[in-house]
Amino acid sequence: MAEMESGVLITLVTILVSGVAILLGTITPAIVEGRAVLKALEGMTRQPEAANDLRTTLIIAMALLESTAIYVLLVCLILIFANPLLDRFFPGG
Amino acid sequence: MEGFFPQVVFTIFGIPVRDTVVSTWIMMAIIVGAAAVASRRWPEALEMLLDFLIDTISSVMGRSAGPYLPFLGTLTIFIAVANVIGIVPFVVSPTRDINTPIALSLIIFFSVYYFGIRAKGLWGYFKDLASPIFMLPMELISHVSRTLSLTLRLFGNVISTELIVAVVFMLVPLFAPLLLVAFSMLTGVLQAYIYTVLAATYIGAGLEANER
Repeated sequence: MAEMESGVLITLVTILVSGVAILLGTITPAIVEGRAVLKALEGMTRQPEAANDLRTTLIIAMALLESTAIYVLLVCLILIFANPLLDRFFPGG
Repeated sequence: MEGFFPQVVFTIFGIPVRDTVVSTWIMMAIIVGAAAVASRRWPEALEMLLDFLIDTISSVMGRSAGPYLPFLGTLTIFIAVANVIGIVPFVVSPTRDINTPIALSLIIFFSVYYFGIRAKGLWGYFKDLASPIFMLPMELISHVSRTLSLTLRLFGNVISTELIVAVVFMLVPLFAPLLLVAFSMLTGVLQAYIYTVLAATYIGAGLEANER
């Protein structure tokens, strides 16, 4: 019974932590990406002849910024689908 | 969620072969066949693709794309097709398995050294790499960490869009996932572009002579 209880506790904490992590981990890159797009658009309207360079740089920068959100997502996926703690404390469970 | 993650289809000499590997073979046949057909019937399309690749690579690296075009162009086409092929029924995208992005990133990791050493010689390359000697550990750490980040970016993007499609499919099976499938195709092609641009940036950085 006690083992069952702690297994439930680990699962519960995992779910809560995944929710909070995905929340914070997507809000922050979204805000930062929005600011990057804003600045790039300002630059494009001010200098339309530099629009192509700006667009390429913007896409690369967006990809780099978005990878932080992807890392959070992968951590959440590992926690939910392949939780190492559950395997470690309850082998075979 | 059963069947969402890569399954072992059969084993060959004790080595498990996953369904992503089988779909990679299918994909290679499709690419070769499409190239053979297109070169005969629509050569203009291939020329447009080639021009786009040459423009992108040369503008990112700031030099002639010639020696790097075969490698980076193959990378672009492979990743773009690999991300999009998941829409074909019974074929999973190879990039959904994390081993495919790891393999691609390791190829880039070694190709940076290969192209750098070929351009500057063994001694010249490592002298440039360690020109202030205390920067050498930083450089080596950054080589490893950017390989990891390339891997995780590609894998995470593919798996996240497919996961979203799967979740929406569980909620509304009819018509609603179509929009998200289209979105995942768009992100897949965009990821191929980004991956190539980043690889070209890394190779270009390894080629540049250190002025100090």
